[in-house]
Amino acid sequence: MTELLLWPFVAGLVLTGIHVYFGLHVLARKVVFVDLSLAQVAALGLAVAILAGHPVQSDAAYWYAFAFAIAGAVLVALVRPYEGALQQEAVIGIVYAVSAALGVLVLDRAPQGAEHIKQLLVGTILTVTPQEVAGLAALYAGIGAFHLLLRRPVMQASFRPQDMPHGLLLLWDALFYASFALVVTSSVRVAGVLLVFCYLIVPAALAGLMATGFVARLLLGWVLGAALTAAGLVASWIWDLPTGPAVVTAFGTAMALAALAFAARRLTLRRSALLASAAAALAGALLLAFPQMDQPWLDAIETAVPPLQTAFLTAGERATREETLVSITRAREELTRLRALEQDVRWSKVEMDSEKAERLRQYLAGKSELSAGDALVLRHLHGKARTRQRYVLGLPLLAIGVWGLWAQLRRRAS
Amino acid sequence: MLAALAAAASLPVQAQPQRLLVITTSPDLKSLVEAVGGDRVEVESLGQPEQDPHSIEVKPAQLVRMKQAAMLVKVGLDHEPWLARLPAVSGPVVDASAAVPLLQTETPRLRTERKAHTHAYGNTHYWLDPKNAWPMSASILAALAGLSPADRATFEARRSAFLSRLEERLTAWSVALAPYRGARIVVVHDSWSYFAERFGFKIVAAAEPNPGVPPSPRELAALLDRLRGSNVRILIADPHSDPSLVRQIADKGGIKAVTLLPSGRDYVALFEENVQRLSQALKSEQ
Repeated sequence: MTELLLWPFVAGLVLTGIHVYFGLHVLARKVVFVDLSLAQVAALGLAVAILAGHPVQSDAAYWYAFAFAIAGAVLVALVRPYEGALQQEAVIGIVYAVSAALGVLVLDRAPQGAEHIKQLLVGTILTVTPQEVAGLAALYAGIGAFHLLLRRPVMQASFRPQDMPHGLLLLWDALFYASFALVVTSSVRVAGVLLVFCYLIVPAALAGLMATGFVARLLLGWVLGAALTAAGLVASWIWDLPTGPAVVTAFGTAMALAALAFAARRLTLRRSALLASAAAALAGALLLAFPQMDQPWLDAIETAVPPLQTAFLTAGERATREETLVSITRAREELTRLRALEQDVRWSKVEMDSEKAERLRQYLAGKSELSAGDALVLRHLHGKARTRQRYVLGLPLLAIGVWGLWAQLRRRAS
Repeated sequence: MLAALAAAASLPVQAQPQRLLVITTSPDLKSLVEAVGGDRVEVESLGQPEQDPHSIEVKPAQLVRMKQAAMLVKVGLDHEPWLARLPAVSGPVVDASAAVPLLQTETPRLRTERKAHTHAYGNTHYWLDPKNAWPMSASILAALAGLSPADRATFEARRSAFLSRLEERLTAWSVALAPYRGARIVVVHDSWSYFAERFGFKIVAAAEPNPGVPPSPRELAALLDRLRGSNVRILIADPHSDPSLVRQIADKGGIKAVTLLPSGRDYVALFEENVQRLSQALKSEQ
């Protein structure tokens, strides 16, 4: 695990370092989507580079992407003084949409690059090399040092722009967005658009909820970014998931949990009763109306309390279910063993003549089909149980929910 | 053969009625239609070799041409999901897969479990076996002859001339790849099953178990682990494969990556190029 995930993790730390810092600025400036917009302009630059005959991984392509991103950054900076007449977010959105469309037009002339531009979205953080990480770290250390040296005007331009003369503001904005464009162009190449956006916004936003002051938020954001990277990578390993999207989901989950925690803090007993009643009424009504539809809440309860799975079956059905489960378990064990053997034969770790190997392949196919049939039996029994639960569970649930709602609303009225 | 030559030679002398406009979804099919139809047809392909055949954006001019077309030739199965959104062609629609013996046709339910190619009706890259040009060109011939019965003999002659040239080249390709028969290879995308079957290679694994979705770390680790203890020396990549994934497998698995072309403007030249690239890569690894 460590061999494969070490460098993606280090890359995640490097990305956290610079992006949380820029994220705090971006949130203060209220230009959340500037990152997606500049990434899209960079992708347009990449498409133009491909059209000009440069391979997508070449240095020339990188500089094309950077030049385009700088142009986008300057455009965004130029709009700020006219914020009253034209919102900066509107320009950011327009830049995004138009550069995405231009990208399609350009790639229509150079179709060999289309796949690589698509790959930019998800990125390839799993296959990042130590050289790439070192390059990013050096670049971001330089940009960090630049911002540290000039921290006073840079901070002022983001957090107290009203105290700055217009001409000076334009200059510092242009410098800010230019360095940001450099960061976005470089990060997206390694981690993909989606992941880079998460590194920028999620830790900074979470830190904003939990801490005050720039330095405290920055430190907390770094800790959160590192922890969420680790969580995403471990989840990707344990549950066998594509790495980039798994880390993005880890960031999303953290944000959702934080939102739930904040919502729970504002929840009174009455509100929870109202919510619970509404949920019960909805669940009951759905079970009553469409018993065969997916009922994830009921599935979850049945998983937590296994006796419930058989409570609505007859004795005969229970026996069938038991037999089917045993047969599925046995088939799964056998399939796992035989598949491993088939793999060994394929990789010539185990010798087997071709006729026997073909028979093994066919046996596996047949056995999986039988096992799939067993799964259908379980589904059928599950459907039968649902039909019975329709009235026994659905009706009381609906009644309790409606009664709860009615009682709450009457209390509010009185 | 002589009759075929005579028929081919007599072609230019014939009066030239209007040529049949045929639209194909891929350049490989275009090449085959031209091989059969010769100068009696004008063929346009909606897709280019460099494009992803699964997601092609059709342009207005192509739509106009489709309306004028006498017939459409498609790869079929579920290779061109975008085709369903286009207006129907007035003439016949030829499904080139109709008479082709397909590979990996297990039911999708089975395949989701085995994580093989996710096409629902079998692996769709059947044109990558040159032998499949026989049934494919037969379907094309039948449709063209239906549209222009007077030219049937010409079409038949052109087809057999093309197939005998292909047969000759196929023998040469088989000879070139014969020393490596039985070699085990890893592919990035599961598009080389037909090619491997024809030339006697064994595909042991696909790096992207689900096409288009990068492998999870565990899948990648398992593949690299398998590679280190094996005699597999070649990884076949497609032009649009993720370069960093290809590089990582090649470096850490200690194998050589070679990019083969899944599609080309000239059917015969496509195989010439692929056979040359593959035999060179295999030779350097021996």
